[in-house]
Amino acid sequence: MTVKAFVIAALAILFASACGPRRVDTPAPVSRSLVVLLPDEGGGQGRATVSNQSGSVDLAAEHDATEVAMNQKPAPPRTFAKGDVNLLFGEVLTSLPAAPQRFVLYFQFDSDELTEEGRNLVPEILRTVGGRVVPEVDVVGHTDTTGTPQGNVQLGLKRAAVVRELLLRAGLDSSLIDVRSHGEADPLVRTADNVYEPRNRRVEVAVR
Amino acid sequence: MTHALRTTCLLMLLVGLASPAAAQQTPAAGRIKLASGTVSIVRAGNQLPAKVGEVVLEADALRTGADGRLGVTLKDETRISLAPNSEIRVDRFLYAPSEGRLAFTMRILRGLAAYVSGRIARLAPDAVRLETPTAIVGVRGTRLVIRVDVP
Repeated sequence: MTVKAFVIAALAILFASACGPRRVDTPAPVSRSLVVLLPDEGGGQGRATVSNQSGSVDLAAEHDATEVAMNQKPAPPRTFAKGDVNLLFGEVLTSLPAAPQRFVLYFQFDSDELTEEGRNLVPEILRTVGGRVVPEVDVVGHTDTTGTPQGNVQLGLKRAAVVRELLLRAGLDSSLIDVRSHGEADPLVRTADNVYEPRNRRVEVAVR
Repeated sequence: MTHALRTTCLLMLLVGLASPAAAQQTPAAGRIKLASGTVSIVRAGNQLPAKVGEVVLEADALRTGADGRLGVTLKDETRISLAPNSEIRVDRFLYAPSEGRLAFTMRILRGLAAYVSGRIARLAPDAVRLETPTAIVGVRGTRLVIRVDVP
């Protein structure tokens, strides 16, 4: 480009911007987030904290909500009306997969023999699996806090293997089952270390 | 170079070559339970159809088109759903309670998503982070919806 051509082009741009439509000072569009807290399906109420570098807001009651614009602190919480929640979010909530179902099987005292109540849960477990679109079954062994954490992981695995066998014998497809142990790390009842607690000596079967 | 040293070097080279492949064996974080309309998984830059039954891996993004809906259940029983024109990414999913290793980070990039907390939130509430372009949401065992509008 010659110098002359450059000057003409520059003048043309200047002219166009000076004579074009006047710019109205609207704020540039920015990203925004809206967080709305909902009651638990079981009827309880959880909580959430919404934060960024500029501030933090707690949502603690049903339908509490906050809006956060880019680089602004979260707005003070307001509460959505139930009708608005249904209208705005009803559809996305119906897309949630069915809640996983959990069965707790207990063991007889100091044994890897299940209680009768535990064995009796098997038909219901299979029925639940049958009702799922893409069934997945977790069989997870748990222990109380007596013994070492490592030993309890092994013990949990042993218990889970007993339940796996039972489910296979009842006709469950082995490819659906995932066997794990959480050892003493995931108790039903929290206790100090080295506490005998029958309610923690269990296998949990979760059907997703 | 002695023979032993040469062998060691060769072994180290082989281990070095093998480990990135091993690291790519990401365990499944969850599975798609509901899908309709235009929906896809974005994995390592590739767009795959998000069919019912498909696994979701850590680092996967899930995307819905104008008529798309998705429902996902993760291994820890966390549940997520997406409305049309939405996108989320599972940035981190670690569920190993017996080792005390728990983490879940999900980013809502745009659109509307519902979240129901799972076992990770129960065992280690601070290990859960829901991120949006403008905020971070921490949870205490809960159900919520997040809408993200981007210009």
